[in-house]
Amino acid sequence: MIKVLFIHQKELTLKNLNKMAKKIILGILLGLIFQSCNAVKEYEKVAINDPDMKLSARTSERYETTFQVYREAAAGANGGKSGGGCGCN
Amino acid sequence: MVVNQVVVVDVINMIKMKKIVIALSLFSGIISSAQEKDSTLVFKKRVLESVEVDFLLSYYNQDGSKSAVSGGIGSEELTDIATNIVVAMPLNDDAVLTVDLGISAYSSASSSNINPYDNGGKPTPWQASSGASQSDQLTSVTANYAHSSDSRNFIWNADVSFSNEYDYNSVGIGGGIAYLFNDKNSEISLKGNAYLDKWNPIYPKELNDYEKYGANSINGTIWDQNGQATINYSPTAFKTISSVNRNSYSASVGFSQVISKKLQFSVFFDVLQQQGLLSTPYHRIYFADKANYYIGQAQYIPNYESESNAGVYKLADDIERLPDSRFKLPIGARLNYYINERFVLRTYYRFYSDNWDIQSHTASIELPIKVSDRFTVFPMYRFYTQTQSKYYAPYETHLSTEKYYTSDADLSTFDANQYGFGVNYTDIFTGAKIWKFGLKNIDFRFNRYQRSDNLEANIATIGFKFVMQ
Repeated sequence: MIKVLFIHQKELTLKNLNKMAKKIILGILLGLIFQSCNAVKEYEKVAINDPDMKLSARTSERYETTFQVYREAAAGANGGKSGGGCGCN
Repeated sequence: MVVNQVVVVDVINMIKMKKIVIALSLFSGIISSAQEKDSTLVFKKRVLESVEVDFLLSYYNQDGSKSAVSGGIGSEELTDIATNIVVAMPLNDDAVLTVDLGISAYSSASSSNINPYDNGGKPTPWQASSGASQSDQLTSVTANYAHSSDSRNFIWNADVSFSNEYDYNSVGIGGGIAYLFNDKNSEISLKGNAYLDKWNPIYPKELNDYEKYGANSINGTIWDQNGQATINYSPTAFKTISSVNRNSYSASVGFSQVISKKLQFSVFFDVLQQQGLLSTPYHRIYFADKANYYIGQAQYIPNYESESNAGVYKLADDIERLPDSRFKLPIGARLNYYINERFVLRTYYRFYSDNWDIQSHTASIELPIKVSDRFTVFPMYRFYTQTQSKYYAPYETHLSTEKYYTSDADLSTFDANQYGFGVNYTDIFTGAKIWKFGLKNIDFRFNRYQRSDNLEANIATIGFKFVMQ
């Protein structure tokens, strides 16, 4: 009886350990990400602040996005407008 | 007793594990909060120093052979000239009001054939008609208010927009928030938009006349497939549309991250829901199981599907019919890398899926090359591929027994290649001046677009940015 309970408890423990291990790995990864995020200070962002490094479409790209929305079925996920206007010509 | 010991050991282990997890989380939290403290306000820079004006002008033309107005064949020739003036005004240290005024004028062979019978007795899907629908204008205005917190780590914005065409108008409202953290190395943004659009439906001329005035309303002789005069044309499937609203709702989540001094990325996840009239009321449908009827010059009937058809037009069986709801899920990502002082690499990828069975992939790459302090040239390439909607079938292949149908090639399977270049001129000292405005930037770009179904397009855009002195 004691042996059965012990084995059962051992399985539970292993499961808990697995869950815990996953959480720990996740925690470590999050920690590493946050640490890596800490690496770039404002005064080190000369390259990051270059106009060509912007994480959005260029202003002059808007008409291309518009015709692509008209001529293609897909839209959205580009940080731009994703509705309004019939786009039917 | 042994069991109790094991349980006690497990509980101790779990508590230890939890402590480790909590400690790690706290560690991350401390790091991030410490980073936020780094950006504590020392000097509050205005979000926008002075008024900026963007003047944009675009020329677009296209041609193809699968006009949806003519049921999936015919000229898709279209020319569009568009211009926008975008004025960004600082209201105070923290707030910016941006007003965007736009006008776009097009002429289209495709939409001219909503009424192809104005073509001097030679109606054909392969040439433009002189009907009133051959051209139209789109006017639009958008106003956006954005406010930044003192730390510049939190930004909220709200916008309203209006646009109007002859047969369509749109009202939009939206808003969003953005939160920057980790010394502004990370950003999370949320955005929501609603567009409340309304059609003023116009229908293919023959269907409109048949519905309004009956079978004898069509001027001129109607021919059957054999070129014999007939009075049997009866598009009974056609009914005018009673519900003319189209509402679009979207929610977007974005995350961006500076990875190193030269590398950053962002991901966007959108959820879009459209409801209402999602079909276009003047897109014709020809059923495979219905007889064909024509108007014009009967000798061109055998060549109807060829560009040599210079004078006959097929009468529609119905207009396209599509469900009144569509759910779209796009997810996109950008990754930009600063290679060195001369080269930058800009990349973009998007996966898209919707409940009309369309899936698509988009990938683009751009390589800005700084040729001098003021000039940058950027070659670019974009690839796009999509699978067709379950409601799409080519010209004259739908059956009248189907519930939904469209022959709009924009919903078909195709690949597209787009390639071009741009030239950017930037003068941070704004040496050239017009009145009180100094010219800061000129951006020109040209792109050629080629679709695997033979649609081709060219687009050229030029933009000028002025800064008030």
